[in-house]
Amino acid sequence: MPLLEVRNVSYAFGGVKALDDVSLAVNEGEILSIIGPNGAGKTTLFNVISGLLRPPHGSVLLDGQTLTRRAPYRIARLGIGRTNQIVRPFGRLSVVDNVAVGALIHERSLRGARAAAREIVDFVGLGALGDRNAGTLTLTQRKRLEVARALALKPRLLLLDEVMAGLTPSEMDTMAEFILALPKRGIAAIAGIEHVMRLVMRISHRIVVLDYGRKIAEGTPAEIRSDPRVIEAYLGAPLEVL
Amino acid sequence: MKIAGWAIAAVALIVLIVGPLHLNGYWLNLLYQTVLFVGLAYGFNIISGYAGYFSFGQIAFFGVGAYATGLVVLNLHWDWTIGALLGGVLCGVLAVPIGAVMLRLRGPFFALGMLGLAQTARVFASSSTALGSGSGMYLPPGSSLLPVYYWTLAVAGGAFAITWWIDRSAFGLRLQAIREDEAIAATLGVATTRAKVTAFVISAIIPGLLGGGYAWFLTYIEPSSAFSARVDLQSIVMAILGGIGTLWGPLVGAVLMTQVSEALWANFPQAYLMIFGGLLVVLLIVLPRGIVPAITARMQKRASPSAGAGMAMGSTQPGPERS
Repeated sequence: MPLLEVRNVSYAFGGVKALDDVSLAVNEGEILSIIGPNGAGKTTLFNVISGLLRPPHGSVLLDGQTLTRRAPYRIARLGIGRTNQIVRPFGRLSVVDNVAVGALIHERSLRGARAAAREIVDFVGLGALGDRNAGTLTLTQRKRLEVARALALKPRLLLLDEVMAGLTPSEMDTMAEFILALPKRGIAAIAGIEHVMRLVMRISHRIVVLDYGRKIAEGTPAEIRSDPRVIEAYLGAPLEVL
Repeated sequence: MKIAGWAIAAVALIVLIVGPLHLNGYWLNLLYQTVLFVGLAYGFNIISGYAGYFSFGQIAFFGVGAYATGLVVLNLHWDWTIGALLGGVLCGVLAVPIGAVMLRLRGPFFALGMLGLAQTARVFASSSTALGSGSGMYLPPGSSLLPVYYWTLAVAGGAFAITWWIDRSAFGLRLQAIREDEAIAATLGVATTRAKVTAFVISAIIPGLLGGGYAWFLTYIEPSSAFSARVDLQSIVMAILGGIGTLWGPLVGAVLMTQVSEALWANFPQAYLMIFGGLLVVLLIVLPRGIVPAITARMQKRASPSAGAGMAMGSTQPGPERS
């Protein structure tokens, strides 16, 4: 049984079909990348999985247990953490407290949650900034804070929404190493990354391609690279060029 | 430092308890008003300062407490303190369904919804014969303000103690996460509705308890004083002036504002409201987030002059490490 299963999910904003009958599965210990042009429905899919949007059709299952129509906080406690493409720190709380919020699902006391949070803040390289207000962080630091907050949930599945965007090439490499290490910590990951094909090809076990809300291809990096539909719809040019 | 703080608190408490025994009517009255507004400002601060749900209608619970006390005293002939206590309990019970519905509204819609609720309660009181309609209810005149003062002091002290606990508890962190970004808080495992309703209930019980004392103090309850928009607005402005979402803000704001307002009224009876309004505008332009946050920010800056260096270091550090 896959860890996460998305079955025939559709979601529309008014007349625009953001997701059109999308199905996919993520296995334990797997890194799945979702790629597709802007507006392909990647963030909408993440919002459906994390419970912020309720799809009129289809279902989402974690370990065979249905998540659809559960409150977002329940889904988080069941083991799904996510980052946000547009970073949204709790601006007037300290970096440590930003992370401690998620740690509270495992720690009864605030003291315990803060201790757990401090470790994670160190781990993502924000240790020196732990006591500062998150509102003072730079974009790169905020991206790391997003990851740290999701990690505090000790999730079984981590949804990474464009964590690479805005990073320098060397920062992207460290982030890629970080994502590659996640399965060893018992976390399966879905990364919704676009544009950075070099990294997508390197870190993914499998890739799902979305275009206009529909899944147009799925396969290993090698298969995706040579899939004519992907080349036509998304890349517009052979991938070797990139 | 910590011992000094506790010593100051103990001395202040003794003065607040023993002092009124030696005060005459005017000063006791002023002290009562001050403590009353401290309590109201703390009530507002929990739902609005910590949870970020700005309520213009907490006075509804103040009025419910006042009327509940009136009914208990006149119909059951029980002591007013029991009435005030029951009023507080009633407000807590009412706040659960009201909160569950109203807290679905966000931002200005919640604020206006609560304002509407308070107005509805006032109109209900004006038209209900059981509540004396527009002419109100007369209570037997009390012998002394002192018991009301002690009641109010206890409630305000309790409100401060609860805020002190919230400020350093997991519950408080959850409320602040909701204030900063509710959807994100939910995706981080915060049961937002439960936390919000709990905060709302606490914020309702406090004015509910205070309203009973106020009714006994006035010996006369009528809609426009029990649901006074002026009292509501004053307590909100005090909390904001002191700094909402902080432990000390409501205390600083309420004490400062009642004293300054009183001094101005005594010295410039004609122009006092104008001067007072002007002062308020200037203060809020200079310190938009309130007095207490401005002071703590200054103290932090003094404590860590190298804050800028920390930032530079952080940005050159490598990203997430390998594990």
